Amino acid sequence: MAKAYDHLFKLLLIGDSGVGKTCLIIRFAEDSFNNTYISTIGIDFKIRTVDVEGKKIKLQVWDTAGQERFKTITTAYYRGAMGIILVYDITDEKSFENIQNWMKSIKENASAGVERLLLGNKCDMEAKRKVQKEQAVKLAREHGIRFFETSAKSSTNVDEAFSSLARDILLKSGGRRSGNSHKPPGTDLKACDKKNTSKCSLG
Amino acid sequence: MLPPVPHPPRAPALSLRSPRPLPAPSRARASGCSSPLSARRRASPASQLPAKMAENGDGLGTVPEHERILQEIESTDTACVGPTLRSVYDDQPNAHKKFMEKLDACIRNHDKEIEKMCNFHHQGFVDAITELLKVRTDAEKLKVQVTDTNRRFQDAGKEVIVQTEDIIRCRVQQRNITTVVEKLQLCLPVLEMYSKLKEQMSAKRYYSALKTMEQLENVYFPRVSQYRFCQLMIENLPKLREDIKEISMSDLKDFLESIRKHSDKIGETAMKQAQQQKTFNVVLQKQNNVNFVKNVYVNDRIPEERNEVELKREFEEEDENEEEVLTVQDLVDFSPVYRCLHIYSVLGDEETFENYYRKQRKKQARLVLQPQSNMHETVDGYRRYFTQIVGFFVVEDHILHVTQGLVTRAYTDELWNMALSKIIAVLRAHSSYCTDPDLVLELKNLIVIFADTLQGYGFPVNRLFDLLFEIRDQYNETLLKKWAGVFRDIFEEDNYSPIPIVNEEEYKVVISKFPFQDPDLEKQSFPKKFPMSQSVPHIYIQVKEFIYASLKFSESLHRSSTEIDDMLRKSTNLLLTRTLSSCLLNLIRKPHIGLTELVQIIINTTHLEQACKYLEDFITNITNISQETVHTARLYGLSTFKDARHAAEGEIYTKLNQKIDEFVQLADYDWTMSEPDGRASGYLMDLINFLRSIFQVFTHLPGKVAQTACMSACQHLSTSLMQMLLDSELKQISMGAVQQFNLDVIQCELFASSEPVPGFQGDTLQLAFIDLRQLLDLFMVWDWSTYLADYGQPASKYLRVNPNTALILLEKMKDTSKKNNIFAQFRKNDRDKQKLIETVVKQLRSLVNGMSQHT
Repeated sequence: MAKAYDHLFKLLLIGDSGVGKTCLIIRFAEDSFNNTYISTIGIDFKIRTVDVEGKKIKLQVWDTAGQERFKTITTAYYRGAMGIILVYDITDEKSFENIQNWMKSIKENASAGVERLLLGNKCDMEAKRKVQKEQAVKLAREHGIRFFETSAKSSTNVDEAFSSLARDILLKSGGRRSGNSHKPPGTDLKACDKKNTSKCSLG
Repeated sequence: MLPPVPHPPRAPALSLRSPRPLPAPSRARASGCSSPLSARRRASPASQLPAKMAENGDGLGTVPEHERILQEIESTDTACVGPTLRSVYDDQPNAHKKFMEKLDACIRNHDKEIEKMCNFHHQGFVDAITELLKVRTDAEKLKVQVTDTNRRFQDAGKEVIVQTEDIIRCRVQQRNITTVVEKLQLCLPVLEMYSKLKEQMSAKRYYSALKTMEQLENVYFPRVSQYRFCQLMIENLPKLREDIKEISMSDLKDFLESIRKHSDKIGETAMKQAQQQKTFNVVLQKQNNVNFVKNVYVNDRIPEERNEVELKREFEEEDENEEEVLTVQDLVDFSPVYRCLHIYSVLGDEETFENYYRKQRKKQARLVLQPQSNMHETVDGYRRYFTQIVGFFVVEDHILHVTQGLVTRAYTDELWNMALSKIIAVLRAHSSYCTDPDLVLELKNLIVIFADTLQGYGFPVNRLFDLLFEIRDQYNETLLKKWAGVFRDIFEEDNYSPIPIVNEEEYKVVISKFPFQDPDLEKQSFPKKFPMSQSVPHIYIQVKEFIYASLKFSESLHRSSTEIDDMLRKSTNLLLTRTLSSCLLNLIRKPHIGLTELVQIIINTTHLEQACKYLEDFITNITNISQETVHTARLYGLSTFKDARHAAEGEIYTKLNQKIDEFVQLADYDWTMSEPDGRASGYLMDLINFLRSIFQVFTHLPGKVAQTACMSACQHLSTSLMQMLLDSELKQISMGAVQQFNLDVIQCELFASSEPVPGFQGDTLQLAFIDLRQLLDLFMVWDWSTYLADYGQPASKYLRVNPNTALILLEKMKDTSKKNNIFAQFRKNDRDKQKLIETVVKQLRSLVNGMSQHT
């Protein structure tokens, strides 16, 4: 059976309610934007296939509800994620402050080696900016992760952010320049595990 | 007793007149009718004759007789001698001799007397001659004297003659002068009249000029027609008439031009007056209907009051304007028409004028009726069009009433009918371009005023009202279109989450907008949430706004409230069943709509459905038509919301299935694995978890919907898994893969039995996977004997396994074995297994064939 993709990466978006997680995902997966705010209930996902380093990579992007009341449901998805995107709103200082809490949540719930990425969304609303880029850059550096300022509305940096995360995961999961790209190091990610086994049995 | 002798007066006159009276006897004989008096007198001597002769006898009586005859001869005219003489001969033969003797004696007697006489007078004669000679000289002297005197007279008379001739000449002159004066007196008035005519012409008083001309022709010219100047004048008159005609015609043209310019203003004024009249009436009516207004819902009071205030203001304004009521005459000087008409009628050419006027006005009508191409873009465009037409017909009406016969009722009616058809066609065409309901409404108001105005002038306007019905439909269509946008925006702006309320005030605000009653919610403490999202009250308000907007068109259409009620219900039904319904369906079918929205839509439609009966009440309150008493159209809102809800439910199932499909696409089985992993596949675990959290989250989804959604999801998952196994692309499946697949199905069954959604009875949900379960069991236990033995029996353990399905799967497994047949040959076990497979395949084939033969 011909495979439709080379890798499946599961990504997870977290952050305060209303920072634009769903919008970022819809912009990324469907290239559209809706101004009306509809709060996500529980959990949802979108799938998009991207090309990274000549590989077809299926990105299953999980969208979580930012609201506290869905926390138990959403945290269950941390463990399966290979990349977690932390999102804050540059016009909302509180959402930026809360990034620390979300970091903590990752530490508690996610797999140890999970790739992380910090996004400051709504950068099209420069006039209402509350969080300076430098603060975020500093924070990202502290955690040793990448940082982008994005706008789902104007489609700024959205593809770039997702692609860079996908690339990082690909590199980390064994996309070394060796011919055998299907041989990731022993990660604890189930999907990769399974893939390993299947490829091995083939070879 | 008649007198014996008539005495006619003419008889004596006749005899008297007779120049030569006849001798008596002849006369008596000749005329029997001679006067008896004279006859008697004259007859007396004649009648004596025979009597004397008879007395004397022969000879004796003749001598006196002859004497009498002689006397008679001497005394009478010679003409009468004849008969006398004959009487002499008639008598005795010697009588004439005797008579002759007698006669000679008489002659001698006479001669002797003459001689005596001459002798007696001779001396006197001589004396006379002597005297005469003496006189002769004197006479000659006298003659000279007379001649002289005559000459002198002649000389003296010459002067007299000259003077007399002078006098005669003077007399003639005098007479001539008198004649000339007389003639001049005849001519002068003519000239005066003519100069008056000229004056009138130059003063442009053409009508009096014509009258003068007439007078000239009838009275003055006949008197002086022999004169050349008169002939010239007579020749000139027709020219003058032509001039007058031309001038008055050009005046008329100017008038027509000015009318065209002014008809705008005339129409505007006329329409304004009609409107004021109407507003006045409406205000009166409104005041009468105060009770009706009071009936309207508490929260519907505001617009009504606003209307009233507006009306009052208009009423006041009208009061102020009342003094300056303008009439057509104030705006336009009609005198050229009257003048021209008069002139032409005086000239006996009315028909030409009529024809010209009518033709020109028809042309103008056509111009007026031709709208500007961009008329439909603004109200002013329409207003201009209407005012011009009104102006035109107001003028025509005025002309009709003021002049006689210039235009007739039939003519204006014909013109109006032509205009009406054109107007209707134009409006129909132009209004169809119109997409703005406000503009349509303004157009309607204009048409109503237009119709009312012209009706006031006696033109039939029913067809306009018919047109208004068409436009009403169009208006409703544009309203529907507009409201489609409104609904779309509302749905666009909704956040599809229950309306949160933190205090009593907010609660009341929502309640005032939307009829919602829930005692449970009322009891809850703040903060709390309404079940519906914010679009629900917005939609409800907008439906009411639509009803108001729709109602607006019926205002001043002179329709009964039953008709209005009917119309309102119809259009509201259209709004609900067409516009709102399609907006809802579009919303539901939107590609990016999420489950959150769909779930909220289901809840929203439930509440909108419940609110429908309040909409019914709302309409009833507006129209005052009770739903019970009159057979009225019902609102079909219920079905709209039901349909939308079903669509949303269907969409939820579809969305869930799509999500399942997305997961299934991530499936990555190694169909050739010899041993299973020992745990379920990652994608499936993700899928199960996802479904679990979905049903965990959408707790406010109606139970039935949740159950159906869950059932549908499980069935879809089961079908998808089965298809994965039977996929024709998949050529071989190892037993290890089947075992791995079984692990996944077990997870599904676990999910189904874990009651992800409350309310399922027993293992209803698990039955979704029963086909897969029996198929997998059959292969894993390799229980072909039981399957084949029990095949077709209701109690069969593998009742749900179709032989065809089993065959397809088995062939994939056979192929696996064949590929590895090098190794297989070394294992007796495998060889037996292959043989068994071959046998089973054969038997399955026969079952499949049998089935196909059966069907």
